[in-house]
Amino acid sequence: MELFRALAVLAEPPERPEVARLARLLGLGEPPSASEYTETFVFQLYPYASVYLGPEGMLGGEARDRVAGFLSALGRTPPHEPDHLSTLLATYARLSAPSEDEDGAVENVEDARRREGLRAARKAFLWEHLLSWLPVYLDRVAEVAPQFYRRWAELLLSALVEEARACGPPERLPLHLREAPPVSDPRAATADEFLSSLLAPARSGLILTRVDLSRAAHTLGTAARAGERKFVLKSLLGQDAGGVLAWLAEEASRQALKHASRRDAFGEVVGWWAARASATGKLLRELSTDAESHGAGART
Amino acid sequence: MSLKELNERVSAARRETEARGETFYPGPSRIHLAAFPPKERWDDWVELDSRAWPERKERRYMLVPTTCFNCESACGLLAYVDKETLGVQKFEGNPEHPGSRGRNCAKGPATLNQVTDPDRILFPLKRAGRRGEGKWVQVGWDEVLDDLAARIRKTISEGRHNEVMYHVGRPGEDGFTERILAAWGVDGHNSHTNICSSSARAGYQFWMGLDRPSPDHANARVILLISAHLESGHYFNPHAQRIMDAKAEGAKLIVFDTRLSHTATHAELWVSPYPGSEAAILLAVANHLIQNNLYEREFVRRWWNWEEYMAVEHPELETSFEGFEEILKTLYAEYTFDYAAKEAGVPARQIEEVAALVSTAGTRFSSHNWRSAASGNSGGWQVARTLFLLNALLGAVATEGGVFPNAWNKFVPRPIYTPPHPPRWNELTWPREYPLAMNELSFLLPHFLKDGRGRVDTYFTRVYNPVWTNPDGFSWIEVLQDESAIGCYVALTPTWNESAYFADYILPMGHGSERHDIHSYETHDAQWLGFRQPVLKAARERLGEQVKDTREVNPGEVWEENEFWLELTWRIDPDGALGIRKFAESRARPGERLGVDEYYAYIFENSVPGLPERAAKENLTPLQFMRRYGAFEISSKTGALYEQEVPAEELEDPRVDRFGRVYTRTPKPASTNVVPIPVLDSDAEGRRFVGVRIDEKILRGFPTPSGRLEFYSKTLADWGWHEYATPTYIKSHVHPDKLNPDQTVLISTFRLPVQIHTRSANSKWLDEIAHTNPLWIHPTHARALGVKTGDLVRIETETGYFVLKAWVTEGIRPGVVACSHHMGRWKLSGGAGQRQLMATVALERAGSEWSLKRERGTSGYESSDPDTTRIWWADVGVHQNLTFPVHPDPVSGMHCWHQAVRVRKAEGGDRPGDIHVDTEKSREVYRAWLQFTRPADDHSPDGTRRPYWLLRPLKPAREFYRLPEMMNAE
Repeated sequence: MELFRALAVLAEPPERPEVARLARLLGLGEPPSASEYTETFVFQLYPYASVYLGPEGMLGGEARDRVAGFLSALGRTPPHEPDHLSTLLATYARLSAPSEDEDGAVENVEDARRREGLRAARKAFLWEHLLSWLPVYLDRVAEVAPQFYRRWAELLLSALVEEARACGPPERLPLHLREAPPVSDPRAATADEFLSSLLAPARSGLILTRVDLSRAAHTLGTAARAGERKFVLKSLLGQDAGGVLAWLAEEASRQALKHASRRDAFGEVVGWWAARASATGKLLRELSTDAESHGAGART
Repeated sequence: MSLKELNERVSAARRETEARGETFYPGPSRIHLAAFPPKERWDDWVELDSRAWPERKERRYMLVPTTCFNCESACGLLAYVDKETLGVQKFEGNPEHPGSRGRNCAKGPATLNQVTDPDRILFPLKRAGRRGEGKWVQVGWDEVLDDLAARIRKTISEGRHNEVMYHVGRPGEDGFTERILAAWGVDGHNSHTNICSSSARAGYQFWMGLDRPSPDHANARVILLISAHLESGHYFNPHAQRIMDAKAEGAKLIVFDTRLSHTATHAELWVSPYPGSEAAILLAVANHLIQNNLYEREFVRRWWNWEEYMAVEHPELETSFEGFEEILKTLYAEYTFDYAAKEAGVPARQIEEVAALVSTAGTRFSSHNWRSAASGNSGGWQVARTLFLLNALLGAVATEGGVFPNAWNKFVPRPIYTPPHPPRWNELTWPREYPLAMNELSFLLPHFLKDGRGRVDTYFTRVYNPVWTNPDGFSWIEVLQDESAIGCYVALTPTWNESAYFADYILPMGHGSERHDIHSYETHDAQWLGFRQPVLKAARERLGEQVKDTREVNPGEVWEENEFWLELTWRIDPDGALGIRKFAESRARPGERLGVDEYYAYIFENSVPGLPERAAKENLTPLQFMRRYGAFEISSKTGALYEQEVPAEELEDPRVDRFGRVYTRTPKPASTNVVPIPVLDSDAEGRRFVGVRIDEKILRGFPTPSGRLEFYSKTLADWGWHEYATPTYIKSHVHPDKLNPDQTVLISTFRLPVQIHTRSANSKWLDEIAHTNPLWIHPTHARALGVKTGDLVRIETETGYFVLKAWVTEGIRPGVVACSHHMGRWKLSGGAGQRQLMATVALERAGSEWSLKRERGTSGYESSDPDTTRIWWADVGVHQNLTFPVHPDPVSGMHCWHQAVRVRKAEGGDRPGDIHVDTEKSREVYRAWLQFTRPADDHSPDGTRRPYWLLRPLKPAREFYRLPEMMNAE
């Protein structure tokens, strides 16, 4: 489906000449500015599957290797950043192209087998590497990004809904999700491990952006120090551990509900995300209660 | 708008944009695997200057296309011409080139090294001392041209036309120099092909009339390569990328290679046969298809010339296809898997696997053999013939994923002038002993001259190095030093080479970015035209300047050949009295010499369908379009032309003979594509051959005498080679039966992936990667000899020996050794030469005994390029070809490269690169192989020297095909 390729291009820096043309073709209005692109994809919502699916919540690692392995298994040379959203969408556009060429012509057994193999590959790629994270990711884009990227995210999400329907549900949960450990309990681990796992979406079920942390600081009347997210979160907890943990618990519940609302379209996959966010919310509430009752923050 | 509508909207916009020839998704980006500057920005492309880092300094470029000149693939390049300095900053791929699609191997970007090589030849040089003494004076082009023109004029005026010879290595523009020679009326074309690919060409031509395969790898289901195509084969870059495309879609790759080449590492099935046994394996596969009825029966019935075979070979039987099938089942019955396994020394089970895989391919079976086994072995031409037998059995001929005859995937535009065929025959290049040779017997020239068969007054070599490239190089040195044999030797070369030391003139020719040519090659099922051009001329013209002569923009006085040949032709016949001058005269400005702009403008305006219209869409002339984009695709998906019906208007007074061949009185329709195609005999009443009747339809068929695929070659049978008329297995000259117990086989034909003969020695990037050619030897073999990696070994051939280092590796079959032919460059002590990849040697002669002793290898040196001080390699390998005697295959005329050798530890005093040869022994081997021939005098069925339908680069007029005795008798 060429639409995916066009949407992939729109996740690239907007100074590329075709972005404006495609934005207009897709009815998304005026193209975004370079600063809007940077705000969305560089500061808030990094467009790499490994960030959302890996247990480290960082670029690269096994999550990226799995995408590369998938491409290699299809006989394609993995590009430099195989798990970048643009690459994934462009790859899916190519994988989904042959099935659109079906014209009912008589085919031999070998051709039929190849076509069936491609169909299976397309479905596996869709669920393992796109729908395993994009429904929750795009929801967040639609919440925090500037206008253009909100519209882009909504269009991409609706295209994914159609694809999920066309391909049917997966036989089981994507491997990334099956293997993702839950968030670390700071009562049994270090605070550092807890914070890292909280910021790793596959472990916490939460996608916490810089905007979210600023919002928390604003709501709680604390100061958000400039720095990377873990540093910001740590400083917030240092100022008001109970309040911050309660805010995070509330945010986890909110995101869990949002995830669950996509269950009709994406079934068990978003169900998994909702359950994980709920579990994290439950832990955060316990920790908040502990913090309030002990008057102390998490063990540092 | 629904998603489906949005999707269609994007697709429609893309199609519309691409139909305008514009880029819809211009790179570079992480999405699009190709990263190219969009062509819309080629006039002003900005990149950061890497040397200015960390400062972000912008540099602005004009991107000017040209064509790589390093191997024959003719891949597209883009020169990044700095707009400030008007120098070339780098070369990358041209995404507009249909063959290479923007991708290049290492040799393409390394063109920059060649352009800036401090050792390149920048001015015409004339010999000052004795030939080979190494003394030179710089001369002007006018002096050179006047001297050569006068010399050739005298030769022609005295009727000694056959004493002018042009010997070509790296091909230039299709047919250009052939037409120059035809204009002079000389039959003086001499190509390197009989040391290169003519054996495989023979195998293909006797099947389908055309001598090159064009495999549609990208769409194949099974690919069988008898080559190292992913790293170095013919058209390797365009083909390799398509092979990988096919593999990405699930195609299976089978590779036959005695060595574990890079290509073999990518194969699903790698077969490492004993050298020369390949045809036996292929026939076992064919036998499997035949015995199990796995062949495409209807294709065989319609397109093989089985009726002719039955009529000639089995006249006692009733001619029926079923009868033929019964015989076919017996023909190859002896080629069992076990038999082939025994010949090849590989497990029968593996051959069975090959057969099983091939049988699944259907019509999507692409196969290729160009040099490799065909070029290594006597009878090697049957490797290509038995390989194509598989395609012919499967019906995988000009199908999607099958193999096409090359001429259907090639376009040679009709030029402004086409001089007539020369009225003479040159026996120095086309001797009577080899009536079926695919190409000139170029490598036998020293022996023919020594035999006294003739002399050469003016001998041009063009980007060719006969001393180094041919077998038996010392015999070449002997004749090049003999002024009674070769009167004047002119070396046209961009860089120093081993032959040029013995020249009278060395004339500096341009590299890929310094010259004009047009090219079209069978890289896939399409017809395209690529344009090589002097990029600085094109860049300056974009800026509004006029450049009349490439010497105005090239370094020093480097010239391009097309202008050189036109000027030389003009001066040979200054007043037109010889009838030559008119072929070099401007049509636009009569009385003036034709210039390259007019020459190419004519071609692009008149002979390339679709180009004028395409150019007009961008408000460009066709020439401007080609200067801007460098390539044009004329058509794609030509399909099975043999199945095309001959239209009724082409069938005036037709006649059909007993085998279905159809003849017509309608003249051949004019075509702007003048790609060489066999001219087939007319019927007795002068009607021309037009096609074949199959199932009541008259179809175009193949350009063979029968009009069909020739399972049975009546040509071979009629010209004395009856036993080889059908695809068969000929035991090689290195078959174990023919070797002494202490001999082994040396494979000497493989390339190193980044080097290309003597063309790339002045490329520092390539030299750093590959600069030596050790002996591949298996651990078991090495152990038996007591040799380990790095030890010196002596390889003894029939005429002498060479010394080199051993590389012990399991990548070679036990009992076979191998050495790449790309190394061992040398220059004479005290002489000029190239310093990055040439050892300095002493050359000594005592009678017929020659020795070449290495004095020193390479080392760092001061030059205009600071990198030359950083040369860290000293070993540049060995020039093994010097020790190989000539082995002309009696049918194809191909030099059979494999050597029966003795391998032993080096002796005290031996140094790497040392060589010793006795040229008298070379003469003995030459005479011995001459005995294998079946000359036209004794075997011609019709009193001619050669079947007229066989291709020949420069064809004499038809009457000169007759043997002299026949002409005299008339």
